[in-house]
Amino acid sequence: MSTAAVLSGSAGDIVLSAEHLTKRFGRREAVADVSFDVRAGEVFGFLGPNGAGKTTTIRMLVGLARPDRGRVRIRGLDLARDFEEAMGHVGCIVEAPDLYKYLTGRENLLHFSRMLAAGAAERIPELARLVVLSERLDDKVSTYSLGMRQRLGIAQALLGNPDILILDEPANGLDPAGIREIRQLVRHLASDRGIAVFVSSHLLSEVEQTCDRVAIIHRGRTLASGPVRELVDRVASDRLRLTARPARRAVEVLKPFGAVEIAGEGAGTDEEAAIDARIPKAKVPDALRALTAAGVDVFAVERSLASLEEVFLEVTGGETV
Amino acid sequence: MRFPGLVENEMLKFARQRRFRVVVLILIGLIGLIAFAQSRGRERFLGDKDWHVATQERMARIQNGLRDGRMPPTMQRWARFELDRLQYHLERDVNPDAISGPLFVRGFANASSYLLLPLLAIVFASDVVSAEFAQGTIKLLLTRPVGRARVLASKLVAVLLAITLTVLFGGIVAYVFGGIAYGYGGWAAPVLTGFRSAGERLDPAAVRSIALWKDTVLAYGLAWFAALCVGTLALLTSVLLRSTAAAMGTMLAALIAGTILPRLAPTWETQKFLFVTNLPLPDYYSGSPAPIQGLTVGFGAATLAVWAVAALATAFLVFVKRDVLA
Repeated sequence: MSTAAVLSGSAGDIVLSAEHLTKRFGRREAVADVSFDVRAGEVFGFLGPNGAGKTTTIRMLVGLARPDRGRVRIRGLDLARDFEEAMGHVGCIVEAPDLYKYLTGRENLLHFSRMLAAGAAERIPELARLVVLSERLDDKVSTYSLGMRQRLGIAQALLGNPDILILDEPANGLDPAGIREIRQLVRHLASDRGIAVFVSSHLLSEVEQTCDRVAIIHRGRTLASGPVRELVDRVASDRLRLTARPARRAVEVLKPFGAVEIAGEGAGTDEEAAIDARIPKAKVPDALRALTAAGVDVFAVERSLASLEEVFLEVTGGETV
Repeated sequence: MRFPGLVENEMLKFARQRRFRVVVLILIGLIGLIAFAQSRGRERFLGDKDWHVATQERMARIQNGLRDGRMPPTMQRWARFELDRLQYHLERDVNPDAISGPLFVRGFANASSYLLLPLLAIVFASDVVSAEFAQGTIKLLLTRPVGRARVLASKLVAVLLAITLTVLFGGIVAYVFGGIAYGYGGWAAPVLTGFRSAGERLDPAAVRSIALWKDTVLAYGLAWFAALCVGTLALLTSVLLRSTAAAMGTMLAALIAGTILPRLAPTWETQKFLFVTNLPLPDYYSGSPAPIQGLTVGFGAATLAVWAVAALATAFLVFVKRDVLA
């Protein structure tokens, strides 16, 4: 597919690769044979419902948990063997942005810069500006809002100039404005700084808006993976949304071309209404000509993109998120 | 290369969690209270009698108690030992009840070694790992380019450093209050130490007379060593239990058991292999009769060292290997 080609062509080197990760808790397989690559400059979405194995996978990616089988490579380094060197390329937030609440933002950043190579502390003012925390940097973290903690967590993760940023549910608990801020920051880091960003989420819309590529995980297994557009196209290719008047007549005309339903209000009336139709791409010009010939006014025709929710429903066989 | 920075991190956390402040206040409050209460008590107890007379009177009382025959066997053992010790002081013309600022400092080493200093060691060590789990910060701490063994090593060093500062500070506070109560001079005075029982009686060959300052340094060294060992054990419980309350409770229960076990079950000899039984190293050194047969400074220090090394090995093994799922 052309979008895929463009995406993989523009993306950089593989920064992180998970190879057949498997983790058992007792007899339950929490993660089974999960593999994916994350490339420089892309935002990679890791999508799945709560309890799908996202956090367990992330724990293995950052060395908090040992995989029973499989391997994590960061910049080609085996995480299990070269932990210190490999983690030098990684910045992460696992689960919640838990920092030391009794320390100030600056003290937290100084604390973690002492765990990094020399020079990390000098980046603190710049990073504080990036995450818009400069003014509150000398306040205790206990006084921060969740959004500020999330941003401080990201500043912390960026201290070591990482090649890959791993964020676990960065939108959790944030208000819409906070979510947008994080999204813009993530996009900026990937597009302008060439950092590979791995984002897990159970919010489909979030992943759809932020990510270049996505892997869908369910019950510990990856069900689908690929560029977001490509996955969406799979479901979306025959979807049309028309706005036409009179609606009732439009539906009659479109019926022979494919499945039709009236989306908004005004079904069965002669007023203007939105109509969802599933018409194969090749038949769309004929359908439009037929509408015009029948005297139907068409105000708008859009190819409606399926949301990831629909993709998800399709790949999981109908289970909701 | 970055190790001093890691230790600095841990010390910063102690400071910001008010650990040092609490310990300092406890030491000042407690030692001040002891110095005040003791100086009041002495005035009433000794009056202005000559110490030779007072000591002989005390020996007479102990002998009466022994003749009485109602004394339990462990008390009898202590009584004979005490008689010999007092007799020895009379012979050498050294006042067994002498007091001065420096002697108060010296006494604090013995008094604090089995409960207070271990307690303060626990204050530092028992949440040094578990708090990171409780706060969730362990996930950040262990995903930095620093191996887990080095993270735990930095915590261990910080705990040992904090305990060292605590013991030093305790000595200084004791000197300040002891000096207020009894005067600051007298570091060079001779003290008799090394009282050891040989069978039923005191072994005179072991008794030595040394300068008070030297004796004090030795006693504090032993108390410090015992506190360090408690610190490593508390670190282990902190690693294993991942809950500060549980770790602190476990260590406290062990300490309390250690202070009552020898009294409740003095004949159970195996308890000399427990770490709590060996904490009063300064006592065993200066020679009060050991609660259990066979307890000496050397044995106690060796036993504590074995406990500490085993605790460290276990703590490192578990900390490095275990998955972090908090």
